[in-house]
Amino acid sequence: MDRPDDKTLMERCLKGDRRAFEALLVKYEKPVYNAAYRMLHNREDARDVTQTVFLKVYENLDQYNPAHRFFSWVYRIALNESINWLKKSGRQEALEHEAADQGGGPEQQANDQQLGEGMEAALMMINSDYRAVIVLKHVLGCSYIEISEVLDIPEKTVKSRLYTARQQLQERLTEQGLH
Amino acid sequence: MAVDPRIIELINADIDGEISSDDKQELAAALAANPAAQAMHAELTGLSGSLNELPDLDPPVHLKHTIMAAIPKSEAQQRRTNVIQAIFASPPMRYAAMFALGSLITMTLISSDQASNSAFNDVTGLVGTISSEVPVGPGIHSARIDRPEVAGRVSLRSSGPLLIVDFDLVSSRPVEIVATYADQTVWFNGFAQLESPGASISAESGRVTMQVEGKRRYALFLHNAGERKVSINLEFQADGKVVYDTAVQYTQPGDSGG
Repeated sequence: MDRPDDKTLMERCLKGDRRAFEALLVKYEKPVYNAAYRMLHNREDARDVTQTVFLKVYENLDQYNPAHRFFSWVYRIALNESINWLKKSGRQEALEHEAADQGGGPEQQANDQQLGEGMEAALMMINSDYRAVIVLKHVLGCSYIEISEVLDIPEKTVKSRLYTARQQLQERLTEQGLH
Repeated sequence: MAVDPRIIELINADIDGEISSDDKQELAAALAANPAAQAMHAELTGLSGSLNELPDLDPPVHLKHTIMAAIPKSEAQQRRTNVIQAIFASPPMRYAAMFALGSLITMTLISSDQASNSAFNDVTGLVGTISSEVPVGPGIHSARIDRPEVAGRVSLRSSGPLLIVDFDLVSSRPVEIVATYADQTVWFNGFAQLESPGASISAESGRVTMQVEGKRRYALFLHNAGERKVSINLEFQADGKVVYDTAVQYTQPGDSGG
């Protein structure tokens, strides 16, 4: 049996159908949690942000604009909440230091860490706006146009942000001796 | 040799899978003619591959249920909840309810002929509050539950002859937990709750029944006089149907459990 699409589920949500909301939650819980984790690099914070995201979605169902796709609305809330979380907790700066302080020198880094771990650390060292486009592209698998919709920026800006984000990641990995 | 901005754009579009066939041909020609562009393409392809391979994490098993428990209920459900909350809102009613619950448990113990001085010595209050997290470690047997109706963990630990069954659960609707144990030397010894208003419990010989709705932390105390191997079967029922069943076991230290 075909599962109802997001639009149908949203319409049912607006009529007070909790099961429809649960279906959307089941579908988007994991991507939202992973996006929050990649933005925050902390499982507890990712859990709390995910919870906040879905509660905000539920509270603001009537403000949802059907002209946009549901996922772009949810992902936008998720990224904004993650960035707000970083600002509120003053963690952005701490994360950059934390990531920069990992390991001794390049040799030790290469020995102690897999490239994936180095990448996770490098990701935390770049500006959150750049991290957001990387998360949308590589964690959530969004296309340029979808990223543009989520972040409400022109597609051209998406491309340039992605390019800059990758350059910065390469530099951080090189600094860690992992590239 | 420098790489032209146009070629950089094409390289990025290529690794993002967003390049047209005409642009792909243009890129191929540029890569063949420019080793710097080739190196950039290889570097960005590797970087992109590493990013795509970052592992996907599973959200905590409780999360979905916690969110569903936190969102407002429908008006009909809200009215039912409000009635219960209104009853328990005033301190006299709350104390009366707690006293009634304690009395019920005490009477249950006495009527089931299970009461003993040693049993009461083990738990000072039959109805109380638990304040610490459930530890996980050697000697603790736990079961994870992940059903749409109820999720969380049930753990069994022991302290001398006292068995403590910790329930850390979230349910999306009213769920009844039926705990049964066949060993007649084990008896119900008390019940505690953490920030869980409106707890409901009944006990009889070899069987304890509890209700869960929303997020709940309970501790069920059983007296295991002989400190023998005990298996506690747990049945989770919603709308009268069993939605999950499991068991937690106590084995004596050094006993592999056979």
